[in-house]
Amino acid sequence: MEFDMTKPNPEVQPWSMKFWEGTKEGKLFIQFCKDCKSYIFYPRKFCPECWSGNLGWKQASGKATIYTFSTAYDMVEPKFMDELPYTIAYVDLEEGIRLMTRIVECKPEDIEIGMPVEVVFYPRNDFMLPYFRPVKK
Amino acid sequence: MSRGKIAIIGIGEVPTASMPDRTQWDILYDTCMEAVRDSGLHKNDIEGAICVSPQAQPKITAELSFGKLPEELGLKGCRDTVVCNAGGASTSNCLRLAEQWIENGTAQAVLIPHVTVHSTVPIPDLINFFAQAGVDLQWEYPFGSTYNIIMGLMAKRYMHETGCTPEEMASVVTALRSWAAKDPHSIFYGKEVPSVEKVMQSSLLNTPLHKRESNVLADGGCAMVVVSAAEAKKMKRPAAYKLGESVRYFSGTPLMRDFHKVVEGFYLTGKESLAQAGITKDDVSLWNIYLAYSLAHPLMAEALEVAPLGQGGKYFAQGRMSFGGDIPWSTIGDAVGRGHTGSGVSAALYVETARQLMGKAGERQVKDCRYVFQNTAGGSGFNNIATVWGRDF
Repeated sequence: MEFDMTKPNPEVQPWSMKFWEGTKEGKLFIQFCKDCKSYIFYPRKFCPECWSGNLGWKQASGKATIYTFSTAYDMVEPKFMDELPYTIAYVDLEEGIRLMTRIVECKPEDIEIGMPVEVVFYPRNDFMLPYFRPVKK
Repeated sequence: MSRGKIAIIGIGEVPTASMPDRTQWDILYDTCMEAVRDSGLHKNDIEGAICVSPQAQPKITAELSFGKLPEELGLKGCRDTVVCNAGGASTSNCLRLAEQWIENGTAQAVLIPHVTVHSTVPIPDLINFFAQAGVDLQWEYPFGSTYNIIMGLMAKRYMHETGCTPEEMASVVTALRSWAAKDPHSIFYGKEVPSVEKVMQSSLLNTPLHKRESNVLADGGCAMVVVSAAEAKKMKRPAAYKLGESVRYFSGTPLMRDFHKVVEGFYLTGKESLAQAGITKDDVSLWNIYLAYSLAHPLMAEALEVAPLGQGGKYFAQGRMSFGGDIPWSTIGDAVGRGHTGSGVSAALYVETARQLMGKAGERQVKDCRYVFQNTAGGSGFNNIATVWGRDF
């Protein structure tokens, strides 16, 4: 039985390139509509609020709070088994955007809903993925 | 949309199990022939065949999509056939399309079959399919997300907001399995019903989901015959009449799914479908709820006002939704109790809705079953379709 053990890259669209270029530079960019002033996540070709194509990018503070999380101990794809246990979370950025991410650099049992976290970038093949870690007190 | 326009008049089903020795066509023959015989119609009376799309099985999906079913079964009167795919909501869309075909004269009687044989799909393909289906390949999949984890994220937030305890969550499995143990079509038929302690003692897959709170992939198949409500009435046979429907779309990407919008969607679709049927929640004899995972059942019970806010878990823990309880709930035990057949759990639930209204549910028969509320959800929960069915109209 052969499993594909290649860790997946994000399947990038032309209009989300800037996001991934930013993570390589240690920056978390959020798409922004210059017409209706909405923050947009995930990045789109046109603003999902007003369908404007007049879009730009703003750098986020990287500060967020945990909305919810789940720590995986088993039954993930074979390609991720070597990383167990790991914690997947939804985090709410200060800018009002929600991301899926990993919570790292802490014990799973110390993670709580509402915990302040900050972005930190981890490599995945040629990409840098935005993970989050607890803000040091 | 549809008060009293169509009715299910025939059902057929094979027990959900691991059946690697049976091909999909072998199962399709049995379920379709049983459903047509149960309807009292002749095979050549079937004028349309609308197939539930099998998930993770590209060959049978292609064969069905390219029109093989009527030819294989010798449905000489068939005018058209098609496959519908909306994941777990596929069967609801088959029924909607059947209603349209019956209304516009395309077909007077429509056959709706489902088949899934997971046991012969190579395990790497199965794992890969379920890892990627319904998960965003840019913003979720690379982080190592899975269906189990997505359900864990939702359950964790629900428990945080309501104070629902892990024991109460585990009791949902006990309730669902209590129905499954009495269901000859369930993979857990006749098996011991796990106690709350046993569920809690099973290994943790991802917080807060224990192994016994997850699903066993299985093989299965079922079929229904649908005609107009007027025709069903004329035939004077047991039938399940569709009385109401309401739907809300949430999001295609689980990350984009606002928790409160989902709860509101459950609430509104429940209200609207019942209003369309001209009944209230107090008239409902059976709540046939399809959510694939046990963890969302307390939330649904609260959204439907079957349990007060924050009390959904307690209702399950008190055994009120269990076999013998005062609130008949998911009488096939949802996917946790039935075994997970991809898009087939919701198909099996429609068959169960009809079975209950026809008075053919055996030991699980809900007393004086007049109205059944049934929901389905597509993908990893992109929508919620609420329907109401009655034994008369």
